[in-house]
Amino acid sequence: MKKIKTVFLLLTILIFGSKIQAQETRIRTGEMAPEIELPNIKGEKTALSSLRGNLVLIDFWATWCAPCVEEQPELKKLYTKYNHLKSGGIGLEIFGVSLDNKKEAWEKSIRKFNMAWVQVSDLKYWTSPVAQTYHIEALPYNVLVDEKGFIIALNLHGKELEGFIDSYLKKE
Amino acid sequence: MKKLTPYFSFIFMLVFSAAVQAQTAKEPWTESQLIATQELADQINAPGKPKPLIINIGPQAVIKGSVDVGPGKEKTNIKALEKTLAKSDKNKEVVIYCGCCPFDKCPNIRPAFNQLKDMGFTNARLLNIPKNIKTDWIDKGYPVND
Repeated sequence: MKKIKTVFLLLTILIFGSKIQAQETRIRTGEMAPEIELPNIKGEKTALSSLRGNLVLIDFWATWCAPCVEEQPELKKLYTKYNHLKSGGIGLEIFGVSLDNKKEAWEKSIRKFNMAWVQVSDLKYWTSPVAQTYHIEALPYNVLVDEKGFIIALNLHGKELEGFIDSYLKKE
Repeated sequence: MKKLTPYFSFIFMLVFSAAVQAQTAKEPWTESQLIATQELADQINAPGKPKPLIINIGPQAVIKGSVDVGPGKEKTNIKALEKTLAKSDKNKEVVIYCGCCPFDKCPNIRPAFNQLKDMGFTNARLLNIPKNIKTDWIDKGYPVND
């Protein structure tokens, strides 16, 4: 009897444990994008969900990441081209999440590249909880979220990113 | 034709190993000057043992007890590194780390390691971080600064 009890106990722990794991955020297409709420450059808390209703590109970047910085002019082009499509339908919004840790560097880059889209950061570098939530392994990294908040693509860059946005917005 | 295959593969291996050697030869450090994250974490955690001088030459001093001089790509920070080490014994074990990105993309480690070499530190080491400080240090539960 004791043996059976132990087996049951083990099974319960196993099942319970796997449930906990299942509750962990999963970053893959078809899943809901976990909420991000961080301060913008003025210190005002800004939520990812505030952009709901648009196609949202979450761009994880940092000023210390050279390929991320090089990508910003491309993002600017995409933003200029697809943001205005909003009238009557959905448009592209960008939610920039910086893994910087120095506010001056972050602010300077935003000004330099004239990033007119949302920019947030907790200025915690790789210790930022958002890097854990989104399981970020390397920068640059991005996540495309549809108007209902579901993840529809992961880590697209260059022509692939533009092609995806273009066909998605044309389809809508 | 079959007879030729071993010769071809031999030549291929030669060329390949030469290319690998050429790649490692470019770096200012040698393989033995790299220190594994586990080894450094053990050193930090071991009570009463002499600890190396750990210096952050990346964006943020994440590792417990490390000195922050800032990204090695900036000349002012290399000067700060020089100043930090000015009075240190040249035989002291000095470990530098960045962890922003993999080695091939990191702009900070080479200028900093060269500075240690130029100053004549015989026990200079670079923390081997294959991906970044999150994946290879924080996620493993190694000691971090509060």
